Amino acid sequence: MSDAAGKLSPLGRLRVAVHAVDLLRRTALSQVVAEAGHVVVGAQDTADVVLVDGDCPPGEARPVVTLGGADHDLPGVLSRDAGASQIDAAIRAVSAGLIVRTPDAIDAGFGAMRETDRHALLTPRELEVLAAIAEGMTNKAIARRLNISLHTVKFHVESVFRKLGARTRTEAVAKASERRRYETITL
Amino acid sequence: MTDQANLLAQFSNALAARAEAAKNAVVAIRLAHGRHMTGMVWRSEIVIASEQSLPRKDDFELVAAGGAVLTAKIAGRDPSTNIAVLRLAESIASPSISAGEAHTGAIALAIGADGTGGVSARLGLVNLAGAEWHSSRGGLIDRRIVLDISLARREEGGPVFDAAGACLGMSTFGPRGQVIAIPTATIERIVPLLLKDGRVARGWLGVALQAVAVPDALRETADQSSGLMVMSVVEGGPAARAGILAGDIILSVDGTSTHRFRNIARNFGSGSIGRKADLRLIRSGTVITVQATIAERPADE
Repeated sequence: MSDAAGKLSPLGRLRVAVHAVDLLRRTALSQVVAEAGHVVVGAQDTADVVLVDGDCPPGEARPVVTLGGADHDLPGVLSRDAGASQIDAAIRAVSAGLIVRTPDAIDAGFGAMRETDRHALLTPRELEVLAAIAEGMTNKAIARRLNISLHTVKFHVESVFRKLGARTRTEAVAKASERRRYETITL
Repeated sequence: MTDQANLLAQFSNALAARAEAAKNAVVAIRLAHGRHMTGMVWRSEIVIASEQSLPRKDDFELVAAGGAVLTAKIAGRDPSTNIAVLRLAESIASPSISAGEAHTGAIALAIGADGTGGVSARLGLVNLAGAEWHSSRGGLIDRRIVLDISLARREEGGPVFDAAGACLGMSTFGPRGQVIAIPTATIERIVPLLLKDGRVARGWLGVALQAVAVPDALRETADQSSGLMVMSVVEGGPAARAGILAGDIILSVDGTSTHRFRNIARNFGSGSIGRKADLRLIRSGTVITVQATIAERPADE
């Protein structure tokens, strides 16, 4: 144990190459990597890990952490919108020879079209109330925006909570966003 | 006792013979980092693979029975049925595939490519054989076939055989690691389309929809309790040209209620392209009908 720990540099700094076609994205990801205490190296330089936005360039032989790439056999697979702490954790884990997956990736697979339970469908008005909750508005503010009474807002909020099985406003927003992600149909 | 041992040996030998005979039915599709996935030999120059796991590129290197390395080009892919077709640069020996009928509880033998020209085998049951279903990408799958088999990533895309040696379909992963088979009937239907056009054309309106409850006050006029609310409209798409707005609630398409989306999916097959569709919808509290001309879904939608 102490032997292995001794091999880490004192700061745990890793050499990370960042690959992103989009320049702004590359800059943003490089910043995340640097702020996590690692050294961003050039695309072709010796690197402990390559952080790739989307699909991996062909022939990449170094350990890769992909953000939203299609190849799920790479050592590190995160979603495209992964946060700084996930990116840092994945870089460290993959450089140590581990495999990193998000719960989403485990849930992936060729599945059936999901149909929302009919009793849990929100009405257009409830969706408006939910959108306002997501913006952090209070019931009073929601009442003003939608031009309805505070009592009616409370009625809608309770109905939204019941239909989504949520206990708090944050939970309601999270559940609704998950539902939107899985149940939005493009036609 | 001896009889029982004989039976078991016969059963085992029969399975081993089947696995050996399936050698020509699979190829290994080489991936990056020394990994591979399995392809199913469909015709002497045609290989089928699991679309969701096949890297998005044009040229592939395959390892056929016995270890010969071949090259192949992508001929088409259809995410809606999870079928990709590769065309080999040269012909190889191909098995004769007969479509089998899946029955719940029947034995299933899944074959994968080992990467060096041999096979790997998995034995289990058909956990569930059900009715046709629609994938989340809108494709029609002819039967639901869930397998009681564990599968390695490298084995995905291989054929699944029944006890008579008929092919139930191509193995693939469903949600949460569930192993399912894309039925042979679906493959037979989709492969010719992919060979012809490289894709399966689907009808398109250019909208993102979410199921909503119809407000109580409108239920009677609408004559249904739920519909599909337009969340966004693709600029310049068929719905935009027809004047459909975000917030509209679509109640029916050509008389088919949107109450269950899978009923609607049928109206948007390749034959729907160019057709005028009557959309009954709720806008600002009244029910109106709008006509839109269905276009072909662009490749990136």
